[in-house]
Amino acid sequence: MRPAEADGGARPVKEVRAFIASRGRAPASLLDRYVAGFGLVMGAAVVGRPIASLLGGLAGATDPSRAGAGTALVLLACAGYLALARAAGPVSVSGGDASWLLLSPLDRRGVLARPARLLLAVAVAAGLLLGLGLAAVLGAPDHLVWRLLAALVVGVSATLGGMALAVLAQASASWQSWVTAGVAVLVVLALVAASGQARPALSAAAHAPPAVLGAAAGAAALACGLLVRRALAALGRIPARALLAASTRAGHVATAAVRLDPGALTWIAEDNHWRARRLRSRRWPSLPGPLALAWQDWLRLARRPGRLALVAGAAALPAVLAQAGAVSATAALGMVGVLAGALAAASSGTAGARRDGDNPSLARLTGVGRGPALAARALLPALLAAAWAAAAFAGLALTGTLPATSWLWGPAVAPALAAGALRMARRGPVDHSMPIIDTPGGAIPTGPLFWALTGLDVALIGCLPAVAALLGGRMGDGSLMAAQALAGVAVLAAYVLRARRAR
Amino acid sequence: MYESIITVTGLTVELGGNPVLTGTRLAVAAGEIVAVVGPNGSGKSTLLRCLAGLQPAGEGTIEVFGAAPSDEGPFWRRVALLADEPAWYPGLTAREHLELMSAVHTGPSRLTVEDALDVFDLRSRADAPPLNLSTGQRQRLALAATLLRPSDLLLLDEPERGLDAAFRERLAGLLDAYAAEGGTVVMATHDPLLAAHGRQVSPATGGVPA
Repeated sequence: MRPAEADGGARPVKEVRAFIASRGRAPASLLDRYVAGFGLVMGAAVVGRPIASLLGGLAGATDPSRAGAGTALVLLACAGYLALARAAGPVSVSGGDASWLLLSPLDRRGVLARPARLLLAVAVAAGLLLGLGLAAVLGAPDHLVWRLLAALVVGVSATLGGMALAVLAQASASWQSWVTAGVAVLVVLALVAASGQARPALSAAAHAPPAVLGAAAGAAALACGLLVRRALAALGRIPARALLAASTRAGHVATAAVRLDPGALTWIAEDNHWRARRLRSRRWPSLPGPLALAWQDWLRLARRPGRLALVAGAAALPAVLAQAGAVSATAALGMVGVLAGALAAASSGTAGARRDGDNPSLARLTGVGRGPALAARALLPALLAAAWAAAAFAGLALTGTLPATSWLWGPAVAPALAAGALRMARRGPVDHSMPIIDTPGGAIPTGPLFWALTGLDVALIGCLPAVAALLGGRMGDGSLMAAQALAGVAVLAAYVLRARRAR
Repeated sequence: MYESIITVTGLTVELGGNPVLTGTRLAVAAGEIVAVVGPNGSGKSTLLRCLAGLQPAGEGTIEVFGAAPSDEGPFWRRVALLADEPAWYPGLTAREHLELMSAVHTGPSRLTVEDALDVFDLRSRADAPPLNLSTGQRQRLALAATLLRPSDLLLLDEPERGLDAAFRERLAGLLDAYAAEGGTVVMATHDPLLAAHGRQVSPATGGVPA
């Protein structure tokens, strides 16, 4: 028997990695260490203050209605984490490892040890955050330290167990349904918590004696430990095709991140989605040329009802946040968040403009002029923005944060947001030839900065009256609303007319 | 009586300081098929991009339909360009791409969508998203979209890319029919069979017959 087989193949992987490392890039220089250290210090400074104030504010019982909405947010975050873990793979290897180490006789578990450690770190960090959130929403009338510890243990157990579940689902299809069920249960629980039905249970949890807390944390840790053990055993059995698919995805993400071209990311996700779908062709409606071209966006949106439902459901988030106490009438950030959400909703209907911006071959074949095409394509994003913002403002009005007529702001801001979404969709790749500003904290490249602001600028200019009303707490002001409606239409018209001439 | 559709005189184009076209001249009459031939890097695609108004001329003049080509709606309603594979719209099937093409053009389409699916052998894959088609099928879909819409001038860059031998022959017949209807074709090609269906010119020799 060769030594490689005698010790389970663990040593060869180490040797191979050492070989690769010895021929890889130069070891980290002093400057690299300085940059990494500075980043850590900055991160701690940025995160430290909110965490300290959060911990300081933990003592004392919280308002039960806030606890319900807050718990709903924590549960939704947990569901999102689980869905993301599955979408990411979660186990994936770098491009080089996928090409050279994965499809080789090396022990698979050894090859996967490094990504497994990374997942562990991610899960623990996410779990600590989740635990802090849980402690914050439930509050601590007494035994602050024990309650905080129990919340942290429950949080880490949830994320670590969730990651283990996602790894098991990657290794065998029979676990897939468990992940789906887990996400569904979390979403249902979040809905129940948001509706206020779970108030007695939450109040009981917030006032539970330390012994019960210890038992709950212990049970969570035990369940998590069992799942992690199974996941570790399954690590070596993950089929190569699943790993390769996950690694290709991760590779695309890394490439897009390195090139700072976030636009590429969304196309990968989009194209993968349609590759896996079975479609049935529908007759094209007989519309005038530009509208017939824009029909593609409507059809695409109608074919993704899940995404549409997600966007629609997200319109309830501002109201839930307001209920949880995170948004108040003067909290301008939360209000601007409604505009940002409406902009995101508008962006979900601009795929056609985006594709023609990236590659205009089909647009040239259709022979529709840029101006008319853009005007026809503005309809869907404007409608989406109007509906989303109206629903979000109406929700906030229901919680009593805003006056009852606030929903009218939705249609008023919609044209400006549609112009912003279209400008965002048609922006080119990041211009890396733009100057870099040196600061003591590191260099700030202006190219990505300008790229990120393209689109937001037009949306913000078009929404100035609404922003003024939000910041000044004058949401009931009819003249400001009329000014907003005019400004929105003017910005959209100006944008379309300008785009008629140049890209 | 022939009407001149394209007139190119003394065209010079440099790409990255490297002269690609020098003093190229070309005249194409209505109803003509012109095959631009030559080795890799001889400027075939550049010439086509110049004709489509996508590459400005360094020196010389280019006239298409009596005016300088422009990347605008009215120009593209008369000119159909097929260069690299187009980016397909997300969420649409192959058939819907063809329907879109026939819906946006006001004039009568040269082919119905049903005929195009048959002629280009795409009926069995009509409901598939284009990304799920093979390379050759995607090229056929792109050709179908190009030939289905009404146009007066076809600019094709290596239309034979990915096509099997039998379909290349069928494509030659389709281009002959297009020219017989009064349309004009300018294509860059490496396929001797396709090239033989038209007047062959070479950008490397200044546009004189190859």
